[in-house]
Amino acid sequence: MAPPAQAHRSPSPSQPSGKGEVSDLKSQLRQLAGSRAPGIDDSKRELFKKVISYMTIGIDVSAVFGEMVMCSATSDIVLKKMCYLYVGNYAKVNPDLALLTINFLQRDCKDEDPMIRGLALRSLCSLRVANLVEYLVGPLGLGLKDNNSYVRTVAVIGVLKLYHISAPTCIDADFPPTLKHLMLNDPDPQVVANCLSALQEIWSLEASTSEEASREREALISKPVIYYLLNRIKEFSEWAQCLVLELVAKYVPLDSNEIFDIMNLLEDRLQHANGAVVLSTIKVFLHLTLSMTDVHQQVYERIKAPLLTLVSSGSPEQSYAVLSHLHILVMRAPFIFASDYKHFYCQYNEPSYVKKLKLEMLTAVANESNTYEIVTELCEYAANVDIPIARESIRAVGKIALQQYDVNAIVDRLLQFLEMEKDYVTAEALVLVKDLLRKYPQWSHDCIAVVGSISSQNVQEPKAKAALIWMLGEYSQDMQDAPYILESLTENWEEEPSAEVRLHLLTAVMKCFFKRPPETQKVLGAALAAGLADFHQDVHDRALFYYRLLQYNVSVAERVVNPPKQAVSVFADTQSSEIKDRIFDEFNSLSVVYQKPSYMFTDKDYRGPFEFSDELGNLSIAAESADNVVPAQGVEANDKDLLLSTSEKEEIRGATFNVSGYSAPLYDSSAASVQSELAIISSTSAGSAPSSSLAIDDLLGLGLSAAPAPEPASVPPSLKLNSKAILDPGTFQQKWRQLPISLSQEFSLSPEGVAALTTPQALLWHMQGHSIHCIASGGHSPNFKFFFFAQKAEESSNFLVECIINTSSAKAQVKIKADDQSTSQAFSDVFQSALSKFSV
Amino acid sequence: MPVAASAIYFLNLRGDVLINRLYRDDVGGNMVDAFRTHIMQTKELGTCPVRQIGGCSFFYMRISNVYIVIVVSSNANVACAFKFVVEAVALFKSYFGGAFDEDAIRNNFVLIYELLDEIMDFGYPQNLSPEILKLYITQEGVRSPFSSKPTDRPVPNATLQVTGAVGWRREGLVYKKNEVFLDIVESVNLLMSSKGSVLRCDVTGKILMKCFLSGMPDLKLGLNDKIGLEKESQLKSRPTKSGKTIELDDVTFHQCVNLTRFNSEKTVSFVPPDGEFELMKYRITEGVNLPFRVLPTIKELGRTRMEVNVKIKSVFGAKMFALGVVIKIPVPKQTAKTSFQVTSGRAKYNASIDCLVWKIRKFPGQTEPTMSAEVELISTMAEKKSWTRPPIQMEFQVPMFTASGLRVRFLKVWEKSGYNTVEWVRYITKAGSYEISLMSRANGNPPFLAKVELDEFRFLQS
Repeated sequence: MAPPAQAHRSPSPSQPSGKGEVSDLKSQLRQLAGSRAPGIDDSKRELFKKVISYMTIGIDVSAVFGEMVMCSATSDIVLKKMCYLYVGNYAKVNPDLALLTINFLQRDCKDEDPMIRGLALRSLCSLRVANLVEYLVGPLGLGLKDNNSYVRTVAVIGVLKLYHISAPTCIDADFPPTLKHLMLNDPDPQVVANCLSALQEIWSLEASTSEEASREREALISKPVIYYLLNRIKEFSEWAQCLVLELVAKYVPLDSNEIFDIMNLLEDRLQHANGAVVLSTIKVFLHLTLSMTDVHQQVYERIKAPLLTLVSSGSPEQSYAVLSHLHILVMRAPFIFASDYKHFYCQYNEPSYVKKLKLEMLTAVANESNTYEIVTELCEYAANVDIPIARESIRAVGKIALQQYDVNAIVDRLLQFLEMEKDYVTAEALVLVKDLLRKYPQWSHDCIAVVGSISSQNVQEPKAKAALIWMLGEYSQDMQDAPYILESLTENWEEEPSAEVRLHLLTAVMKCFFKRPPETQKVLGAALAAGLADFHQDVHDRALFYYRLLQYNVSVAERVVNPPKQAVSVFADTQSSEIKDRIFDEFNSLSVVYQKPSYMFTDKDYRGPFEFSDELGNLSIAAESADNVVPAQGVEANDKDLLLSTSEKEEIRGATFNVSGYSAPLYDSSAASVQSELAIISSTSAGSAPSSSLAIDDLLGLGLSAAPAPEPASVPPSLKLNSKAILDPGTFQQKWRQLPISLSQEFSLSPEGVAALTTPQALLWHMQGHSIHCIASGGHSPNFKFFFFAQKAEESSNFLVECIINTSSAKAQVKIKADDQSTSQAFSDVFQSALSKFSV
Repeated sequence: MPVAASAIYFLNLRGDVLINRLYRDDVGGNMVDAFRTHIMQTKELGTCPVRQIGGCSFFYMRISNVYIVIVVSSNANVACAFKFVVEAVALFKSYFGGAFDEDAIRNNFVLIYELLDEIMDFGYPQNLSPEILKLYITQEGVRSPFSSKPTDRPVPNATLQVTGAVGWRREGLVYKKNEVFLDIVESVNLLMSSKGSVLRCDVTGKILMKCFLSGMPDLKLGLNDKIGLEKESQLKSRPTKSGKTIELDDVTFHQCVNLTRFNSEKTVSFVPPDGEFELMKYRITEGVNLPFRVLPTIKELGRTRMEVNVKIKSVFGAKMFALGVVIKIPVPKQTAKTSFQVTSGRAKYNASIDCLVWKIRKFPGQTEPTMSAEVELISTMAEKKSWTRPPIQMEFQVPMFTASGLRVRFLKVWEKSGYNTVEWVRYITKAGSYEISLMSRANGNPPFLAKVELDEFRFLQS
């Protein structure tokens, strides 16, 4: 169907512009309309075809609507279909003309040929004109009772279409109960399946307003319905089977006997040729056995073979869809797939999206017995023509090394990568060697020898360069040339584009200085001078900080900059287990492919600046601005350990949002009204804000008396809060929506506090000293609004706070939501005590 | 929300719309523009077949010179969507009689619109079985004059069957000569190290069937798979016959096969659809008979010369022969001059794929032809990056040979009129991705000393 909007755009050069042709068509159609000459149908067919083909390429042919309707009086079924297609396309934009078609469609709905009845009914429901719905009810009612199953299948979907055009009409006509009756009694499986689809949609949408509908929706997954559908499963078409199985996966059986009955009944579905049926069956098995650990594991063993078959057959797209699911299973239970690692080897010609998943799976299944083979295989990919894949595979080798298997051999391999003399291989390998050294400092001697021989001129990527510089600083005592390499790098300070690299260079020179002072002193002076003159605020600040620290006391400076390090035991996982579970719950859907739960890509709130608008122009502008934002945010994210002055940070924030036109995320409906005044802290700065200010605390806490660290004494022992809590705005929003309010209180503010609260920032920094972090704030005197969050020290249990302060009445209204409700009172006390100390 | 597709588009490679069908109003009409600007015109095209733009997800597939795009706005079932596209294309092909490409779509667009209406309603897949649809979508596709399929389809007004349970066969078929053709087609996937150890090997096979049988016949197929044979001997309380049996890793069947009976009795029994269909698919990883062994040696003599020697050994029966054998041996981009000596077939340098291509039209079993080539390279000073050594790739077909060792033991046809049938069985093994790595000497020394070199090594049956 060509939407009318398309017609106004200039068609591509090969396509006719249309105007002349349309008026030609119009006159020709008019001639034919009245004629009853023999063979007239053939000439009509040709003309209709022309109309449809113009319609397809986007020419507006709505002008011939009247003529098309006149010509529709025919017994030729092909002609009828073309006419229906045309009418369905243009009725929505020509509601008045659509009325013309009602007559002939209604007549056709009573035709003696069931095909015509079905087609007419489908077209009638596809008109999508709201003020014509009254004409639909009658034919639909008859269609549902038609003795031909084809007409019934069409009518059932017709009811759903009617619901989407006008829900009240559909409900008032009592169609849903009729569908339910059909679903449970109709002999034709396709009718049953369509009823199920329609009812699921209707009742899910109705459930928010009607209790009865939500009860009905629950009834769909009740035992009698599920058993009825399961008993007929073999009659259904493959697509309908998917639908039924999807429903069964939601069913909660009473006991284990029931579970085994269902699984035995469905086991043969695993042999179905349609991959979608197999995946749906797997979903049922996995979900039924979630609580039975042993059986769950057996299920994994059982589904392995069918999954591997599906992956190796069909088009790359199909196998990608299956592979994504295999991927999630491998990630959940890598040990079960450990012996099948060879299935995850990449083939030379496979598309890179398949290779990427396979690499991740190879990484996951590596264990003592297969690491050797897997790493050998991965090393082959490092020389791959496809550079992103080559990079991925080097990273995979590193990940396996960090998992502690056969580190010995892997380190050798990584060092060989360094000698391969390919820029990207060297770059990736450097980053990995750095991570490895942080975990296994005992390897330093072997690595240093090789790293020392790498010329820094050959390393251009910021990450790799930063890694190299880090190693130069960290192991300067073992690397003969370290001070001189750092010297030459410092000489080229001006040419270094990456702030990250310059920051690392500063620190590395400092470290080197503590280890080999005589050789480094000159370089240090040059580096600090260059840093102080740097236009990048963070670099400037760090240089200044180092400078003053050194001035104050060199030994203290050494303890700050180069303290003894503990080996990192585990690197942080990027995805929380909660999210992983959510994805697993949505097995056999897009969530698995995107590797994020569905609310993140179907909820409007989550889509962020890339909101799709109907105006194409807007879309591309939005996309461009999003692109512009990325580097800015990227810089912020990279520099997590930076010391930003507060005013500086506010500016950056403002700039970020001005560029992107990012609309502030909505926390709830009440927040919407003050939304425009809110200064939102973006996810990146929310992440860096606490950690950056804490970096100061940590450093200063080491014994500098010049600026005492905020006293942690204000936190009562009953509840310890995590001072480095991090929560991204997305999660905050989601939690705020999901959690109930556990406490709602009003606190009084001290007069000093009221006086100090001239801008929201003042309170914000104060609360952070008490491990309560701000995620958004806004307002002007006398009304301020804040959203805070805090995390328990020992576990990741969150507290969320909405705090509205009115300075004229000196009152603060506080709403607290908590993951763990039992501690919310304790937290409220902490919050109150923190608030009362504000500016005291 | 289940799988409801909002729209389906057929685009040519330039992004022009060939066919579009909007099923639901929840996506805007300019979806296809979004696809063009954000996927087709960017580097994203090859990166992932599932993409999200705004609130919509796009599933796309390229088939010959056509992109088929499905747009959904909810959390849809991806596997189902792709399978739907594949099935729909198969359906179109059966209507057009062969090719599915831009021209075929342009020539048959009215028919495709008709079919799109029938196979999906409001985004929900309906009936995609060609056998049934052909009963009531009567407009024959424009067939090319070269395809000579019989077009003697009777068109009874049989809407009753449209949604019936035995959806794949209609009643009242009559053939003068009742014949069944079975094709066992296997493709071998292999990854072998340059030293000849098997890194990865599996066989995916399918049994294609062509049925020209009258009435409603019941068929039963017996294979030499281990489980089936054991079950049979159990049932008949008779010891298993000696002979080679094979172990199938996994099997999937056409919807006509009675899966319950397969699970209980391990026999493949079914009422076949009329005409051509894929009866079953299987996969084997153990005990694969590799038809060819390739032994390459590549010597880089200085910066400008290379010596390539490849020996291929055919390890199937001496009476058999392989057809269309092509061996592609990659060489560096800066290849200037090549000279060859071959004991069989022809070899030449193909600059567009940077390969030495050695073709042997007919390759008898138990022979061992060799090719040696001298390659001269242009010396480039800037060429610092070493050559990545892609694997050697091989194509072939070996008739009457199965890499898995699968054999059809019997095919029984039972019909109530008791006619005689003629059964034909053919076997063929093709190369899937048959690759021999040249990598392990990339740096002059072997990566990791081979710890379990011969772990999977398997000499072939003599």
